[in-house]
Amino acid sequence: MVAQEVEKEPEETVEIKTDFGPPHYEIMLHPIIKKNYGKWKYHEVVRPGVIKRVAESGDVLYVVRFGSPRLLSVYTVRDICDIADKYSDGYLRFTSRHNVEFFLTDPDKIEPLIQEVQEKLGFPCGGTWDATKGEYGLSNIVHTQGWVHCHTPATDASGIVKSVMDELYDYFTDHKLPALCRISLACCANMCGAVHASDISMVGVHRKIPKIDDDAVRRTCEIPSTVAACPTGALKPDMKRKTVILDKDKCMYCGNCYTMCPGMPIFDPENDGVAVLVAGKISDARYPPQLSKVVVPWLPNNPPRWPEVVQTVKKILETWATHAEKYERIAEWVHRIGWERFFELTGLEFTEKLIDDYKRTPYIYASYRTSAAFRW
Amino acid sequence: MTDVELPETPLLDELEKGPWPSFVKEIKRAAIEQEKAMKAGKKIKLPGAAKGLLKVLELAYKEKRTHWKHGGIVAVVGYGGGVIGRYCDLEDKVPEVWHFHTMRINMPSGWFYQTKALRAICDAWEKWGSGLTNFHGSTGDIILLGTRTEYLQPMANALAYLDKLYGSPAPFDIGGSGSDLRTPSACMGPALCEFACYDTLKACYEFTMRYQNELHRPMWPYKFKIKCSGCPNDCVAAKARSDFAIIGTWKDEIQIDQEAVKEYAKVIDIEKQVVKKCPTGAMSWDGKELKIDNRECIRCMHCINVMPKALKPGKERGATILIGGKAPFVDGAIIGWVAIPFIPENELIEKCCEVLEAIWEWWDEEGKFRERVGELIWRKGMDEFLKVINQKADVRMVYAPRNNPFIFWRELNQ
Amino acid sequence: MTEEVNKEELKQKVLEYLAKKPWQVRDLAKVLRVKKRELDKIVQELINEGKAAYWSSGSTTYVTTKDKLEEMEKKRSGT
Repeated sequence: MVAQEVEKEPEETVEIKTDFGPPHYEIMLHPIIKKNYGKWKYHEVVRPGVIKRVAESGDVLYVVRFGSPRLLSVYTVRDICDIADKYSDGYLRFTSRHNVEFFLTDPDKIEPLIQEVQEKLGFPCGGTWDATKGEYGLSNIVHTQGWVHCHTPATDASGIVKSVMDELYDYFTDHKLPALCRISLACCANMCGAVHASDISMVGVHRKIPKIDDDAVRRTCEIPSTVAACPTGALKPDMKRKTVILDKDKCMYCGNCYTMCPGMPIFDPENDGVAVLVAGKISDARYPPQLSKVVVPWLPNNPPRWPEVVQTVKKILETWATHAEKYERIAEWVHRIGWERFFELTGLEFTEKLIDDYKRTPYIYASYRTSAAFRW
Repeated sequence: MTDVELPETPLLDELEKGPWPSFVKEIKRAAIEQEKAMKAGKKIKLPGAAKGLLKVLELAYKEKRTHWKHGGIVAVVGYGGGVIGRYCDLEDKVPEVWHFHTMRINMPSGWFYQTKALRAICDAWEKWGSGLTNFHGSTGDIILLGTRTEYLQPMANALAYLDKLYGSPAPFDIGGSGSDLRTPSACMGPALCEFACYDTLKACYEFTMRYQNELHRPMWPYKFKIKCSGCPNDCVAAKARSDFAIIGTWKDEIQIDQEAVKEYAKVIDIEKQVVKKCPTGAMSWDGKELKIDNRECIRCMHCINVMPKALKPGKERGATILIGGKAPFVDGAIIGWVAIPFIPENELIEKCCEVLEAIWEWWDEEGKFRERVGELIWRKGMDEFLKVINQKADVRMVYAPRNNPFIFWRELNQ
Repeated sequence: MTEEVNKEELKQKVLEYLAKKPWQVRDLAKVLRVKKRELDKIVQELINEGKAAYWSSGSTTYVTTKDKLEEMEKKRSGT
C-alpha cells in the first residue's frame, strides 16, 4: 500500500452518484404487509395505540403506535431498531405525525412491547382513535424547527410542543375526545409546517419590522437580491449609503429579507410571540375541509414552558371536548353553536385584530370547491 | 456515570421534566454518546456538535430569540437542493456549531423501514454529522440536523453507497428544497389500509423516480409539492399541504355487507352515529337493512370510517386531483380545489404525469418569482388553467358558479 | 458553426452576470432576452463544468458563480 499524506475515508474516494432515488418501498415492508398488500379487509381498535388489521387471507397484524419527540438522536433510533428487531421482525414505520409504529403478529406480545418501549424509550403508546365507538385520542403535534435550527422563527417549536403534550398527555394515551383533533405548530407565519388547516394550531408571529444594521448590511449582504427577496416591494436600495430602506407600511414581517441578508434581523424577544388558530380540518368526513381561523392574535414567548400558550390550547381543547357531540370536530362544533358561543364558552376575547384585512387573497377563491366530496 | 461534561442548561433542563418524551434528552444523549464513542476509538468528525447545540439553544431560551443565520450553500455535486445552510451568529463563541447545515433525505414511500436501513443511516450520521435527526420533517424527508460544509459531500456519498459501506438494503438519495419538486409523500395506502382507492406508495415512488431531475435541480419560480392520499380522509394532508393533491375516491356504489351492519348494530347506535351524520342524508336504517342512495353520496367517508367491517369504497376506483394547496405565504393559505374530478385507477399515474408536465411548462413560463401554482391560477384564471391541462370545466370544480356577469369574452375580443 | 460561437459567447456573458450577484434564471433570461428553457440548459452546463453553483434561500434557489458563492458564504458565516 502506498503511504498517503492524509488517509482518506471511503466516502471521500467513491465515485459521485446522483439521481438514483429513494429505496423501493417494497424492500421496506414487513413480510405480512407485503403478502397482504392491497388485500386488507378491515381494522378494529384493540386499545388506545393498538390497531388490529385483518387481511382477506385471514392474516392478522397488530400495529402498535408510540409518540416520539420528532427530534431523535441516532442512539435512540438504534434503540427503536433493537425493539423492532426483537418484536417486529426488523420492520417499523413512522406516521405523518412523528409517531413510530411496530408490527406484531402475536397479541400476547403487545403488553411486553408497550412496557419495554416505555422503559427504554419513554415513548407513550397511543395517538389512535376508535371511529366505531366515536372515541378519539389526540395524535402527536406536527411541528417545525424553531430555535433548534431555524433562522426566522418567532418562537421555538419543540419546547412548546413538549409543554403542550405534557399537559395533554392523557388525551394521547386514552380515547377521551369526541372527535379527531389535530394540533400543529409552525414557528413563523411562513409555515414550513403548513398548519393552516388544523383543529388547533399555534403559529409564531413577528410583530415588528426587521432592524436594519447598515454596517452589517454593507459587510454581509447582496443588496439587489435582498431587495428582490421582499414579496411586497417594501424594500428599496439606498445606492448612496450602500444599504436598504424599508417601507414599514408594506412590510408583512415574513423575514425573507433576513434570509438573504443577515444584516437585518427580524427577531424581537419582547414582541415576537404565538398566535392561536382553530377550526381547520382536512378530511372530507361530514363537513368540508376548512382553513384555520385566528382566535388569539398574540401570546408572549415565555420559555421554557410557555404557560400562556399551553393554557390557551388546553382551554380550547377541553371546552370543545365538553360541549361537542360525538364526531363533531372543532369546525363542525363551531358551525353548530356559532362563533358568538365559541368566544363566550372559551372566554377568549374577540378584538379588531381578528377581523380580516389581508386583501391579497382573492375573493373568487371562496367559490372554488376545496374538497373531493361531490355527487356523480 | 458519565465522564462527558455537559454545559449548564437550567432552562432546557425544565423540558426534561414531564411525561412526554423530551427532545432535550435527545440532544444531551447525542452529546454524551457521540463523545464517548469517539473516546472509544470510533471515527467521529463532529464530536462536540450536539453539545454546541445545547449551548446555543439555552441562550435562545434565555434571550427569547434565534441564533441561526441562513446560509445558501448546497455543496453536493450535481444537486441544487436538499441542503439547508445554517450558520450560528455566535461564531467563534460556539465553534462546534458555527456551521450547522441540514440535509434532507428522501424517505421510502409511506415511511416504512427495515431496521438495517435505519441503522446504516445512524452509523453514517454518527460519523459525519451531529448525530441528531428528525423523523421526519414537515414535507416528509428524513432530516439530518447539523453538519459542516466540508462533510456534506462525504455524507451524501455515504448515503449513496449506504448499501456497500454501511450494510443498508439500499442506498438513500437526497430530497428536495428550494425552487424544485419537493420530495413527494404518500399515506400508508394499500400497505396497511383497506380504504386505499389506489396504490399511493407506487404512485409516490413512480413520480419520485420519473422526476429526479426536477427534484434535484431547482429551476422553477418556487416550490412544488405532490402528495398521495388513498382516500378522502387524507392522512397526509395533501389537500392543504400540496400543490398537486391526489385523493383516492370511487364513482360507483359503496359496498355493503348487511350481516356485518347487523353486528355493528349490537354495539353502536347506527341511526345516531351513522345515518344522522351523513352530510347529504343519503342513508336510512330500519333495524334490518342499511340503505344508501348512492346518487346522493358525496364519498365523505364518515359511514365507512365508523363501520369498516360493513362498508367499503365502491369498485370503480380512482382519484380526484386538487390543485393549489399551500401555506399562507404570500397571497394567503390555500386548500387545493378540484382540477380533475376523477381519473380511473388504471390511468392514474400516466395521466398525472401528463398533467404535471403541462402544469410545470406553463408555470415555469408564466409564474413570477415565488408564485405558487395556485396563485398563478388566481392571477390568470381557471379558464386558462383548464386549457393548459386540457380539461373541460366541471361543476364539481366549484361550490357555486360565479355571482357576477363580468366575464372576459376573450375569444370575441382578439 | 455560428450557433456554436453564439452559444459560447452567451455562456461567457451568463458567467459575467452570474459573477455580479446570485440570479433567478428567469430574471436573467429576461435581461439577456433569451428563452428561459434555453438558459436553463446553459446554466446547467456551467454548473456541471464547476463554473456556476446553486445558492439556496431554502425556499427558492438562485444561481451564481462558484467564486461569488464562496465569497457570499464567507461573509454570511462571519469567517
